[in-house]
Amino acid sequence: MTDIAPSAADAAALDTPPPRRSPGLALLRRSLRHGGLLVGGGILFIIVAMALAAPLIAPHDPYAQDLSRRMIPPVWQVKGNWDYILGTDKLGRDYLSRLLYGARISLLIGTVTVLISGTIGTLMGVCAGYFGGKVDAVLSYIVTTRLALPVVLVALASAALVGSSLHGVIIVLGLLLWDRFAVVTRSATQQVAGGDYIAAAKAIGCSTPRLILSEILPNILNPLIVVATLEMAHAILLEAALSFLGLGVQPPLPSWGLMIAEGKQYMFFSPWVIAIPAVALVFLVLAINLLGDGLRDVTAPENRN
Amino acid sequence: MAHFKSHLSRVLAALALAAAPASAFAGKANDTLTYASDVEPENVGPYHNNVREGVIIARHVFDNLIFHDLKTGKYEPQLATEWTWTDPQTLDLTIRKGVTFHNGDPLTADDVVFTLNWAVKPESKVVTKQNVAWIKSAEKIGDDKVRIHLVGPFPAAIEYLSGPVVIYPKAYFEKVGLDGFAKAPIGSGPYKVTSVVPGKGVKMEKNTNYWKGSPLGTPSLGKLEFRLIPDPETQVAELMTGGVDWIWRVPADQAKQLESVPNLSVLAAETMRVGFLQLDAQGRAPGSAPLKDVRVRQAIAHAIDRKAMVDNLVRGGARLMNSACFIDQFGCTDKGVPRYDYDPAKAKKLLAEAGYPDGFAIEFYAYREREYAEAVVGYLRAIGIKANLNYMKYAALRELARAGKVPIFYQTWASFSVADASAFTGAWFKGDEDDLTRDPKLTQLLKTADTTVETDARLKTYEEALKLVGENAYVVPLFSYSTNYAFTNELSFSAQPDELPRFFQAKWK
Repeated sequence: MTDIAPSAADAAALDTPPPRRSPGLALLRRSLRHGGLLVGGGILFIIVAMALAAPLIAPHDPYAQDLSRRMIPPVWQVKGNWDYILGTDKLGRDYLSRLLYGARISLLIGTVTVLISGTIGTLMGVCAGYFGGKVDAVLSYIVTTRLALPVVLVALASAALVGSSLHGVIIVLGLLLWDRFAVVTRSATQQVAGGDYIAAAKAIGCSTPRLILSEILPNILNPLIVVATLEMAHAILLEAALSFLGLGVQPPLPSWGLMIAEGKQYMFFSPWVIAIPAVALVFLVLAINLLGDGLRDVTAPENRN
Repeated sequence: MAHFKSHLSRVLAALALAAAPASAFAGKANDTLTYASDVEPENVGPYHNNVREGVIIARHVFDNLIFHDLKTGKYEPQLATEWTWTDPQTLDLTIRKGVTFHNGDPLTADDVVFTLNWAVKPESKVVTKQNVAWIKSAEKIGDDKVRIHLVGPFPAAIEYLSGPVVIYPKAYFEKVGLDGFAKAPIGSGPYKVTSVVPGKGVKMEKNTNYWKGSPLGTPSLGKLEFRLIPDPETQVAELMTGGVDWIWRVPADQAKQLESVPNLSVLAAETMRVGFLQLDAQGRAPGSAPLKDVRVRQAIAHAIDRKAMVDNLVRGGARLMNSACFIDQFGCTDKGVPRYDYDPAKAKKLLAEAGYPDGFAIEFYAYREREYAEAVVGYLRAIGIKANLNYMKYAALRELARAGKVPIFYQTWASFSVADASAFTGAWFKGDEDDLTRDPKLTQLLKTADTTVETDARLKTYEEALKLVGENAYVVPLFSYSTNYAFTNELSFSAQPDELPRFFQAKWK
């Protein structure tokens, strides 16, 4: 891009590349320089750690209700008290404990949904990209059909039909959110499939499943991870939306979306009831999205601007 | 953050002021009282719905034969100028002359006879059969004389005639039929219906020809508009911005906070509504097999801290109920009815004895006051019963329950404001569609009680029936409801204990 001649130092650096700089190490270096990735990863790490350690660090049982201690405000408000750092909800349950356990539900839904949808989507995308032709036409048609369906509407309808529960939400979302996986893996596979090493693998008589598993999949993993993080955030938001509408996770499970819905009636006079889970949700989704963006940047440096 | 709350209230107040011009659509300025509620009657015909909103419309649009004065407890003439019992199964009434329906037709003995005979016909499909099932037939025995034949002796007849039994116009109803009547009902009451839009609400207008001397008085407000607003937060927001003038069932927390809002008045009053858990003791619904065991039902009753719910959630004069009726109803008593005190340890023990030491999972259905239902679910969870809360619209849930698909139903019943225990027990234990218990012995007892004329014997039979309900824990009575009313302070409105707002007695200040 520049027509200034390389300086001596640059030339030296080019001549003697740093010894043993593996691609992994380079990736790590790029990652450590990427602010968004660090912030997102950091927040996510904290949330995951708190969710995993919830039984150890939660000050109270998230389900234990005590009606005589309901609607205690958080500590920073006048009537707050340190027994209930984030206050209590309308049934006198500790808000902090519910928030911590709620993180588990959100993360569980995010992860399992992405596992299900990722498997479906990747399978379809790889098949479409690798085989091409009629297989591609059929699978692309299915993807297009799926893209034409508004996710929330279908999720609402199926939740209304089969009833609402934690498992129900995960299955419905898992069966709905595979479209981006399919689209991305399809094009990535098409790019990879033309590669020499694929031709080489074919030439030495590699079977198709083995070819896909050990040659194609590892090479499209990077975009897949990026899609997975974005879809995880998507799933968590959708769960919150469904639970808010009463068609997702059912009480007394402490889902953040449900907590927001339950806090709705106190919006005018006790805004913290709705603000706390909402802020938590914003942070989680923001962190996952930052992480996803960052991963895209560092794994595909050639696309960076 | 400490100031966040006060900031927010200021912002909200500013928003409220900014939206204030919208209030020109309602209120004193154009003589229209807009009231909001969260449920709408599926049919505004008073015999074809069993929701409170329908009862309110019925009292404004129709007249009763007899008027029950809640202040004195006496029955006064309304459409019937006088009535006499010729024997315990025959009631003669004289019908008032000079009363006209909203369409100008005179109200005569023929209309009374027609209404009663029509309501008792099975093909009329009256929703709450208990309200009319005591009537055998009616006949005209003179120009303005009507004779009602009863199925059997029924001392509470006068109370029903002053409540759910309202008079329809024969000629008009025969012309338009049930569907037409639901769209444009005509009565003789203080307000006439001008529009019915399902899903939106009902508009009413003052009946300027309302007959003089009615115990209901002369209506003052020019127009009434019932608006369906299912979401309680929207109701509060609409009230604060002047979109509606009157709301009720405001949760105790908000009511307390609304008191501090200028231009609003807040009123709390106990009502006849009783909340109770209906348990599928027959085990008809999928997954409700454990409920067949009386020990499980008793465990559920012991698991719930009803006192804590009354003191902290319901408040406003609500009382704990031990019997399956409203305690001030005639015939309702909790004497001899077992008390199920809050005792989770005992509940767990009972569950273990019944063979469920680790509890079980069950579906739980509710249709209003979601937080009360959630509190109950929380208490059940504490003894190991994992109740999955399903929150539904009332009409749909009622059909589900009638089809035998509801294991635990968080029910509430306000007895159509009838101050007689039969209006409660008759609706839930007499073998009708809503009866999930269907205990033949109980049904028989109630049939006897309903038709016993001699007061002491009648009270005794109810006592026995209620004891049977209690011992078997067929239902878990929770508490009476209190309702918080919040309304514009331009309105002079007073609440009555029967959960029946009487806008025909309200005035602008």
